Amino acid sequence: MTPEPELRDALLAAVPSLRAFAISLSGQVDRADDLVQDTLLRALANIHRFERGTNLNAWLFTILRNLFHSEYRKRRREVEDPDGSYAARLTVHPEQGSRLDFEDFRAALAHLPADQREALLLIGASGFSYEEAAQICECAVGTIKSRVNRARSRLAQLLAVEDVEDLGPDSMTRAALQAI
Amino acid sequence: MMTSSKGKRAAKLIPETYLSAEFPGEPGLDRVIQDRIGDHLRSMYDELVQQPVPDRFVELLNRLEKRTDAVEK
Repeated sequence: MTPEPELRDALLAAVPSLRAFAISLSGQVDRADDLVQDTLLRALANIHRFERGTNLNAWLFTILRNLFHSEYRKRRREVEDPDGSYAARLTVHPEQGSRLDFEDFRAALAHLPADQREALLLIGASGFSYEEAAQICECAVGTIKSRVNRARSRLAQLLAVEDVEDLGPDSMTRAALQAI
Repeated sequence: MMTSSKGKRAAKLIPETYLSAEFPGEPGLDRVIQDRIGDHLRSMYDELVQQPVPDRFVELLNRLEKRTDAVEK
């Protein structure tokens, strides 16, 4: 099966958003790029299953999400404290001032359960509809809605601490740690 | 846990303009924070989306195209 040039271009065009999603999900660029590569390989191997005319991006996000979760389950068995190591990875690079906000925000994001994090990313950042997000996560639309709502209130709690008490640049990380 | 979520639901029954004027601590702050979360999320994500595509993906797709051409039939 030959991936014709249009398909190749479409896959390539999807890479930036797949990477953004994978980085936000996993918190690690290297791992995210491996996920994106595996997603592209799996997509090409299963391209006959893709219904032409439907949303290619949603299909690719579904593959990436499934790969992420099966890998996460595998790692969870290997690593004793996956949440701790994940959080630690997300709080690096404090030297770039302009990125500090993002790093803090990502640290807060890291403390959400994976299902809430992915729902929030799909709806609030990737621009998918609730229906598409439900399809990607293989759950009901109502489930996506409640996950997004829970994710938002959890983040609001973490941000509220920073707003009200103005603890400084580390406040969100501290708030996140205190909230565990 | 139960009481705090009940409290929030009850607060929504009161007109929002009234609440934000009378009790600037609660729902008004919530709204500001929700907007900030949305902005943060989008700008963080946009920054990631705008990163250049690593060469490995271009090479991968080109390589696969050649290989599948050869394997075909």
